[in-house]
Amino acid sequence: MAGAIPDPSSSALRWRSVPPDALAWRHWGEEWVVRNERNGNTHLLGPVAGRVLELLAHAPGPLATAELTAALDPTLGASAASVEDVLTEFRRLGIAEALPG
Amino acid sequence: MIVADLARPVLARRLRDEGLRVRTGPVVNRIQSRLPRVAQGIALHYAEYPVEEADGFADFHVNIVTPRGVRRWARPQVHFQFDGMRAFLPLPADQAFAMLEWGLNWCVSANCHQYLIVHAAAVERSGLAALLPGPPGSGKSTLCAALVNRGWRLLSDELALLDFASGFVVPLPRPVSLKNESIAVIRRFAADAVIGPIVQDTVKGSVAHMRAPPDSVQRAGQPARARWIVLPRYESGVGARLSPLGKARAFMCLADQAFNYDVHGRRGFEFLGDVVGGCDCFEFDYADLDAAVGAFDRLSRP
Repeated sequence: MAGAIPDPSSSALRWRSVPPDALAWRHWGEEWVVRNERNGNTHLLGPVAGRVLELLAHAPGPLATAELTAALDPTLGASAASVEDVLTEFRRLGIAEALPG
Repeated sequence: MIVADLARPVLARRLRDEGLRVRTGPVVNRIQSRLPRVAQGIALHYAEYPVEEADGFADFHVNIVTPRGVRRWARPQVHFQFDGMRAFLPLPADQAFAMLEWGLNWCVSANCHQYLIVHAAAVERSGLAALLPGPPGSGKSTLCAALVNRGWRLLSDELALLDFASGFVVPLPRPVSLKNESIAVIRRFAADAVIGPIVQDTVKGSVAHMRAPPDSVQRAGQPARARWIVLPRYESGVGARLSPLGKARAFMCLADQAFNYDVHGRRGFEFLGDVVGGCDCFEFDYADLDAAVGAFDRLSRP
């Protein structure tokens, strides 16, 4: 159905990950591997993606892109656009979903 | 008893009739075949391997057979049977021993799910193992053959068996499969290496098997702790260059190269995480085998 999937670039969207108990993590240096129990896939995540997923997984509710970007360590140098790219990829991988704001 | 204790006619008769039960690491293979090439290959490559009792349990029952009909005579072919069923498409008859080797690899990779099975060579020194994962063509067998001819113990050329209970690498020493240019390279590098006849025009090109060092076969009951993960890559013009590799990337490489990572679900993820966490990880570009062995020797020094 047209329009069923929200545009990830919309600032009105809020994001949530699969439940934390569906994720298994390992973190070495700036890179992460994460297993999504809901589909059995394992992914390699860079520092921004790893931290974004960690924030989503432990947040009490869905977060907007701006909130995620603000919560990131500035030394990561992540822009809102790069966070949106990460979130779009998470949705493709089944790790996160977008909700209307 | 080991295979070398059997006189050649006795070996041929066992293969033809009740089957030869030969132990390779943790598994017992009951091998049957009427083909002289298979008997010759076993006599050459499996001389040091334990022969199990004729009525003992065998994990795998395999047979290399010639088909009935015209294919027995015109451009003859052979089949690999597993539990009496044809497991693969037939191959030319001169590839009979290679087909046995590939079939035995398949038996392990498709069935031994008590282990995490990684498509990797594995070698050991001083109780510590180096895993060399990599796709075909990465040079892992060539590097493995070089190392085991210079003091490292062969744990496996093709299938690294990681034991969930202990976290150790369980040895599965079998003949090392050399392909194309690497056959001549190893002949030059290790004049004492026992290398069987070259079989041309296989799906992998020219193939010859190198006999596993006897000491590696005799110590097949001694597992080793994984200490290094090294991703080899043959690159002409490079002596030997060892570069640190992030553990997350090493994890993904092992997961990609594992035959049964998905079978084990979260247990496989956690186990692999523990294995990688306990290893130093590297990428390894090499062209010169002496330099490559030197780099590994330095790696293993306390």
